[in-house]
Amino acid sequence: MEHIVFGIGITALAGALATVAGSAEDTESNIGSQGDPNSQVQLAPQMGFLHRIFNKAVAGEPPAYGLWCCLGAGLAWAFMAMQINPVLAIVLGAVLATFVQGVYATTAYVGRTASLAKFGQPVFVDILKSMTTVTMAHAFIAIFCTVTLCHLINTALGHPFPLPLLGLIWGIALGAAGSATGNPYYGKERQYQNQKFGAGVPISASGNIVRYAEAGERNSIDNGWFTAKIGGSASGICFGMIVFLELWRTVVFEAINPWYAIIVGVLMILIFTVIDRYIEVWGRKTYGPYTAPKEAEA
Amino acid sequence: MSAVAAKPAAGSAMNPGAMAVGIILTLILVGICYVMSPGVGLMALIGVIIGGILIGFGTHFVPVGGAPAAMGQAPGIATGVAMLATGAGVAGLFGGAWAAETLPATMDPMMQLIIVVCAGAVGGGLMMAITCMMVNFLYVFGMGIPPASGKVANDPITGDSQAEYKSQGTEGHGLPFVSFVGGVIGGTLGGAGGTLIYFELLVLYENALPGLMNVTAAQVMPIAVSAAGMFAVGLFLVNAVLTAYNITGTIEGPHDPKFKRWPRSIVASAVASALCGLVAVLIVMPLPI
Repeated sequence: MEHIVFGIGITALAGALATVAGSAEDTESNIGSQGDPNSQVQLAPQMGFLHRIFNKAVAGEPPAYGLWCCLGAGLAWAFMAMQINPVLAIVLGAVLATFVQGVYATTAYVGRTASLAKFGQPVFVDILKSMTTVTMAHAFIAIFCTVTLCHLINTALGHPFPLPLLGLIWGIALGAAGSATGNPYYGKERQYQNQKFGAGVPISASGNIVRYAEAGERNSIDNGWFTAKIGGSASGICFGMIVFLELWRTVVFEAINPWYAIIVGVLMILIFTVIDRYIEVWGRKTYGPYTAPKEAEA
Repeated sequence: MSAVAAKPAAGSAMNPGAMAVGIILTLILVGICYVMSPGVGLMALIGVIIGGILIGFGTHFVPVGGAPAAMGQAPGIATGVAMLATGAGVAGLFGGAWAAETLPATMDPMMQLIIVVCAGAVGGGLMMAITCMMVNFLYVFGMGIPPASGKVANDPITGDSQAEYKSQGTEGHGLPFVSFVGGVIGGTLGGAGGTLIYFELLVLYENALPGLMNVTAAQVMPIAVSAAGMFAVGLFLVNAVLTAYNITGTIEGPHDPKFKRWPRSIVASAVASALCGLVAVLIVMPLPI
């Protein structure tokens, strides 16, 4: 019983860390325009809309975070093998992984923007200097939290995978959850703030992203500030729930009977299915159809 | 044939000759394994091939909208096919590997396999259920957009009409219910496939490595777990990326016409898994020379 209570405490801590990691990951990717909305940042100059938005699509978020978290976890593991205190080892591992992220961000921005030279898009050195450090700060939070939760899973909960492999797995899952949940909010709500609320962006408007702020030109820190409120929080809740519920059902029920953990997992899936259906029906009823239903089709 | 002259291949354009070659290649690779390592090695390879096929098939269910989905221009989840499927699959692998660790060694091996694969499947399905639910949550409550499919007039499960809920100038947006269900099925199959690969390779390495390295079974466990985990993640990426090429960009789920391409992907996954699996088996097998 004591073991289970201890496990639930660790699970709660891991879930809280995952929530912070998810939120920081989404905000980092939005400041750097790393996810799918990057296509519009890359497209805009080709359509004649020059901008001052940071553009550092290193890779898709899941493989990028798989790399950074695996690197952070691997280095932390190596430092721990050198008898360094785990807290210090994780911090050092995360710092070194963040430097790698910074190198990738710099080369990605310079390379991608230079490829737009024929459309007249300049490489802004002040953007490079001010934005890269902000993305690195957010990346550090995301990597540190993920490596810490992997360390907790490995040492306190006894998962068999070594720390670097756990870093790779949860890094990929972090990127998948963050990009899936957070991307639409940045892509639709922020980049196309000039379009109607409550409708998708018409394909004809592609590339015409918002480039001006209340004063002067909009930059990516504005985008991070905006998306952190809903997109970042939703990504954090998404990744936090994934980590917490996955650990919780295993820690509490696996020891009693392995089938119980599976049955509880199936029940959770059914509960989320009902919630999703409720959200869908609520959206359809509240917002209503955009056009009148066609009689011929009915 | 130029790109202009090429026929549109949205449906089930299959090439029987290429598929036959793929099946023969798979059988040749299985035959090589049978010669080199009959018994436990062959069993592991067959498990890897089945796992790879499950991953390849499951990836077709995952509703992925890519960049257009990030602007609310197309339905699906706003990320890449391979990335999302891998995210769900490795989350399942995490749960399956944990279940494999906690089961008593005295349990019947077949029952162990069933429990571990089910645990992995539920882990992948749960990850996708949470992600898909949060996607719709953000579309509806964050952006004021109801989910709508661009490929079907009515949702095949709920019967809800879709066309009038598509906003002007878009292909649809969000995740209609059938896409949600497709996502959960895709995560479940991916989690099951990844965990099956892991478990089969783990059993092989646990049996083969002590003799090969001349150490005890307890000493070899960390290496066996790490190697099997690495191969499982690697094989997941191989199969998910192959399927992403088959899907070519975006897919709405099981109701999308592109879903009919799955037989092609299954043959490709079988060949790729057989080749990668053969390498994973042979690294622990002493050569018979």
